Amino acid sequence: MLRYAKLYWHFVIQRFKILMEYRLNFFIGSISTVLFQGASLVALWAVLRQVPSIQGWTFEQILLIYGLLTLSKGINHLFADNLWVVGRDYIRPGQFDRFLVRPINPLFHLLADRICHDAIGDFIVGLSLVSYAMVQLHLPVNLASIGFIILMVISGGVIFIALNLITAATSFWIMDSIAVTNVVFHTNEFAQYPLTFYHRSIGVLLTWLVPYGFASYYPASYLLGHAIGWMAWLAPLVALVCITIAYRVWVLGLRNYGSTGS
Amino acid sequence: MPIIDVRNLGKTYRTIEKENGVKGAVKALFRPQYREKVAVHDLNFQIEAGEIVGYIGVNGAGKSTTIKMLTGILYPTTGSVSVLGHDPQRERVANARNIGVVFGQRSQLWWDLALIESLNLVANIYEVEPSRYKQLLSHFSEVLELDEILKTPIRSMSLGQKMRAELAATFIHEPKVVYLDEPTIGLDVMVKQRIREFIKDYNQTHNTTVMLTTHDLGDIEQLCSRVIIIDAGSKVYDGPLNAIKQQFGKFRTITFETNQPIASVNLPPACEQLNLSEFSLEVRFDRSQISASQVATAVMQQLDVADFTLNEPDLESIIKHLYQNPTAYNEVGTRG
Repeated sequence: MLRYAKLYWHFVIQRFKILMEYRLNFFIGSISTVLFQGASLVALWAVLRQVPSIQGWTFEQILLIYGLLTLSKGINHLFADNLWVVGRDYIRPGQFDRFLVRPINPLFHLLADRICHDAIGDFIVGLSLVSYAMVQLHLPVNLASIGFIILMVISGGVIFIALNLITAATSFWIMDSIAVTNVVFHTNEFAQYPLTFYHRSIGVLLTWLVPYGFASYYPASYLLGHAIGWMAWLAPLVALVCITIAYRVWVLGLRNYGSTGS
Repeated sequence: MPIIDVRNLGKTYRTIEKENGVKGAVKALFRPQYREKVAVHDLNFQIEAGEIVGYIGVNGAGKSTTIKMLTGILYPTTGSVSVLGHDPQRERVANARNIGVVFGQRSQLWWDLALIESLNLVANIYEVEPSRYKQLLSHFSEVLELDEILKTPIRSMSLGQKMRAELAATFIHEPKVVYLDEPTIGLDVMVKQRIREFIKDYNQTHNTTVMLTTHDLGDIEQLCSRVIIIDAGSKVYDGPLNAIKQQFGKFRTITFETNQPIASVNLPPACEQLNLSEFSLEVRFDRSQISASQVATAVMQQLDVADFTLNEPDLESIIKHLYQNPTAYNEVGTRG
């Protein structure tokens, strides 16, 4: 464990050196994430300024949900962005082979190979939204609430990573998994809003099948004192179950790995 | 105990058979027809410590598939592999510590990183002791002439520089077993020579076991005492390089240049006409049955010969002969 932590640090440093070589890329990457998030927020604001609330949810309350989801997404973006491109950039060109002949876990190697700094944008936006919403809603900002948010963001991040890991593992069978990952990943957009906005089936889907709801709706409900908020405490457990299943699927994929010619 | 122990090893790929065109693609999506392709079949061999074994065969014979199963990249369909007592798939990490792999066609280094940064990272991955790392780095810098390229990112290196960089990265953790998959592909004579010397020297000083696939017979002749030939997924020859040479070395060729156009020529027994053009004739003969002077005399009685050259068989022509005449393998006999 300590060995992997040290090694991870070495990877981070090397990644940073590469980024400094492409400085312009570095800034464009970080700023584009902020702009991207900003655009969705403007759209949300444009709708909500017409009405004081939707089904009893105010603009600030929705921002809290949105902010929590963005932070979880940021964790995934920072640590596991390579899952998106494992098929296209590693398996198809035969680059994945080198991970398999080195004395470290191939998944660790894949993730450490590219830490994605664009996630800084997610963290800036997410933190701003959550702090703004907490202050506006007069929610207590103390050790307990901060600890709770950290636990929820980590659990949410793990859920994001787990689902991307499952879809990424399909590249062992179909070479390029970006399309599959896209389909599953983008269901998280439902979790930007209270799950009560949708038909019941969407709520069930976002809770039990692609449980992004645990990254946003449930923790926000808990902070707001809603009855359904107790569900938030399931988040760490759901995350653990998801990542365990995901890792098994990944290992199964590795067994099926066919490499490329020559 | 052998270092590499391969028993009944086999690999079958299952691919989806596709018909041409969009219609075929759609059909393959919904009702896939699978086709099984045997890449490696019932392979057996043992390699002892310190051996340098040439693993050769035509393209698609199953060389790379074998190497990938030995290194733990691919799971075998049948049989087993043991490298220094480890199963390369189930004990991936333990096995990876002992081995080094060079794939001549792709890099294991980081495209954008300077070589020295890549080497630092590799040394960290293999937990090379810092003082030892320093020692090895200065040694490799000298023999592989890395000084000029240590600060260069891989992406801006020439092919020759890249391969020297690959070798440094492969040997930096002092592997006991090394797999080299076409390490000299596309390189110029000078770089080839340096790389062969490096491998040979490393093998002699460290008693490293080396398995080498190549299409360059210079690599084989200079490095390998033993050769395994694989054809259509099966082993067809396993034995000393000398045995092939002796068996096929009994054939020599003479090339005659003539002053007058050649109409026809009657050759003595144990001779075979290889090439005939207007002013030149190439004859292969079995030296155990007829001497060069007898062949030359017979030809010169019939033709107005201006010049002739006698050629010793080189490995290339022997291997070519083997590839083209699969039954010839039996003439050499197999071992193991």
